[in-house]
Amino acid sequence: MMDLKKMQKNPRFFFLGLVFLALLLPWLPMGGSTNYVIRVLTTAVLYMVLALGLNIVPGFTGLLDLGYVGFYGIGAYTSGLLAIHYNMGLWLILPLAALNGALWGILLGAPTLRLTGDYFAIVTFGFSELVVLVIRNELWLTRGPMGLPGIPPPTLFGHPLTRDWEFFYLILFILLIVLAVVTRLQDSRVGRAWFAIREDEIAAQCCGVNLIRYKVTAFAISASIGAMAGAFYAKWFKFIHPDMFKFWESILILCLIVFGGMGSIAGTMLGALILIPLSEVLRAVLPQSLFSARYLIYGLVLVLMMRWRPEGLIPFERAQARKAWQAKERLGS
Amino acid sequence: MKPVLTVTRLSKSFGGLSALKEITLAAHPGQIVGIIGPNGAGKTTLFNCLAGLYSPTRGQIRFQDRAVVPEFSEARAHHIRRCAVLFMALGLVWLPLFWSFFLPAAFFKVELVLLGIFILAMRFSLMRGLMRFQMWAWGLMVLFLLSDLFFAVWWLIRLSPSVHLTGTHIPLRCLAWPWAIGAGVFSIYLMIQLFTRQVRQIYGFRQSPDAICQMGMARTFQNIRLFFNLSVLDNVKIGCHARMKAGVWGALFKTRAQREEEAGVEREAMECLRFVGLEKRAFNLAGALAYGEQRRLEIARAMASRPKVLLLDEPAAGMNPRESSQLIRLILDIREKGITVLIIEHDMRVMMSLADYIYALDYGRLIAEGIPDEIRNNAQVIEAYLGGGPSHAPT
Repeated sequence: MMDLKKMQKNPRFFFLGLVFLALLLPWLPMGGSTNYVIRVLTTAVLYMVLALGLNIVPGFTGLLDLGYVGFYGIGAYTSGLLAIHYNMGLWLILPLAALNGALWGILLGAPTLRLTGDYFAIVTFGFSELVVLVIRNELWLTRGPMGLPGIPPPTLFGHPLTRDWEFFYLILFILLIVLAVVTRLQDSRVGRAWFAIREDEIAAQCCGVNLIRYKVTAFAISASIGAMAGAFYAKWFKFIHPDMFKFWESILILCLIVFGGMGSIAGTMLGALILIPLSEVLRAVLPQSLFSARYLIYGLVLVLMMRWRPEGLIPFERAQARKAWQAKERLGS
Repeated sequence: MKPVLTVTRLSKSFGGLSALKEITLAAHPGQIVGIIGPNGAGKTTLFNCLAGLYSPTRGQIRFQDRAVVPEFSEARAHHIRRCAVLFMALGLVWLPLFWSFFLPAAFFKVELVLLGIFILAMRFSLMRGLMRFQMWAWGLMVLFLLSDLFFAVWWLIRLSPSVHLTGTHIPLRCLAWPWAIGAGVFSIYLMIQLFTRQVRQIYGFRQSPDAICQMGMARTFQNIRLFFNLSVLDNVKIGCHARMKAGVWGALFKTRAQREEEAGVEREAMECLRFVGLEKRAFNLAGALAYGEQRRLEIARAMASRPKVLLLDEPAAGMNPRESSQLIRLILDIREKGITVLIIEHDMRVMMSLADYIYALDYGRLIAEGIPDEIRNNAQVIEAYLGGGPSHAPT
């Protein structure tokens, strides 16, 4: 009991424990299913990264973004093409993909972020469809519907990463970086400006927050995180195809955020950690004939969620209250 | 002493309804200026104009000798309207040029006609925007004029003498020369007009609320607009936003400057909260505060930007007598710091004990001004509040 209290007082401790646990995971005795479990977990962590990235726009800034998967696709194709044509390493590709995502985020955001609410959501939806159409039709660049096979695996100090646990560690590393970025931004002037925009645009403006600038910043950072996740995905899966970046994917990531709690970092991660392996659990539990109905169960979960806990598992205000409590501890008053 | 804020003949109309008519007022440094009037008198509209949320239809607002809204004479405005009409006319001249560019294909191809209509509609909306002195219209107009010029030149180069007007034997070149030269001269003339100093001044203004906040004017709202899901401390920190510098890089790498700034802001925010007596609630969520506390938090948030002028929109609304006498003391403390306070208030007890000078509005018009004693006995003010005879119908 004492330990639990101490852990609560010192979140860093708790956090390190979690990371340690995650690092230990591939080495737990799981018999023949180790690789399968690790692959499912890699997917879950990948979606955690994606959810953290998307969370910046609808969660922090309060703008509905339905086109997130467009940036995911841009990142994946940037990574795949650079790796195939220029034989670049992952450590060069990740920042380049992030930059490319940010570029497209700014290009899309700067003119359209003046729109409000639903209109903006429609524009982002259109953008993601556009990305898929371009990928599908520009055969000379992306090979269109034939997909992009044969992406070389990433290397670390000359050693190519091929085993499942290596990829798991890699995505865990990316998650830690993204987590650091997002938490640092959240506690800074930029993050507060985003929260202000989410809560009340007019009041934020009157407090000196330049709406367009901060919305575009949020959009660009969100896009670059999405593109980074895409870059990893291409390197991991070694084959990408336009159908992997369809609109449904955006909705899925949005569901993770809504389920976990829009705007709270712990919530979005928890949402991804629960919902993504849920699909695999359902694969085991449901009979074969019902397996394709698993999305129905997703829907059911969300409906029940909206009925009983509409703010998500860890609501935004709880996260904020917790932050305030930590500030109190820090200031020692 | 020079006034810190002057408003000259300010008017604002929404469609046909004019909410403010020729308001003139001034606030001197360290003064508490009261604005009173019955509901719908235009008090909040006045504040919204001052804070940059509305752009006024006419008139001047000067803050510390800097213009908050563009200033121009009526003659200049008329000139700009004429330029806008000429721009539209140029579009009409240019449209046949555009069509014939695709000659000798069919003169009336459906897509071309539709495209032409679309372009005309765009030019029309640009004309409207320019007439309303909107910055985006000015910028787009310059782009349109450049493209006009470009097309006129290109068209002349490209047109061969063998091309005839559809269905006739008139060579298009005969028409082309005067046409293209006219259009070119026209667009150059308009461009020069748009780039003159006076016109640039009108359109070159940034009058967004955040810029005005940065200049040193902060406000509170009639219906409380706090960031309810954030902590009280964070609310005040956002109030400090305008005078902070840290950006994304600073936040990502936690540079020394950023950490120092953050610590300083934290200290100042706590000071602001102590000033309004909320330091005990600093770590609660703003939504969890009582009504009176939320009002005071709004004032703390506005004070955090270290304003020169503070606009308070009905700060005592919904407060009990004890709370409102606390508020009076608070506002007097604010004045002690040398901040000019503009205050809208219905509670006459608060107003009469606070204000150094009062302006009374009714139906968007200034009906009286003076020190509190003069206003108290002013017949027009009493009539506006209590209602006069049937002769007092609004005109």
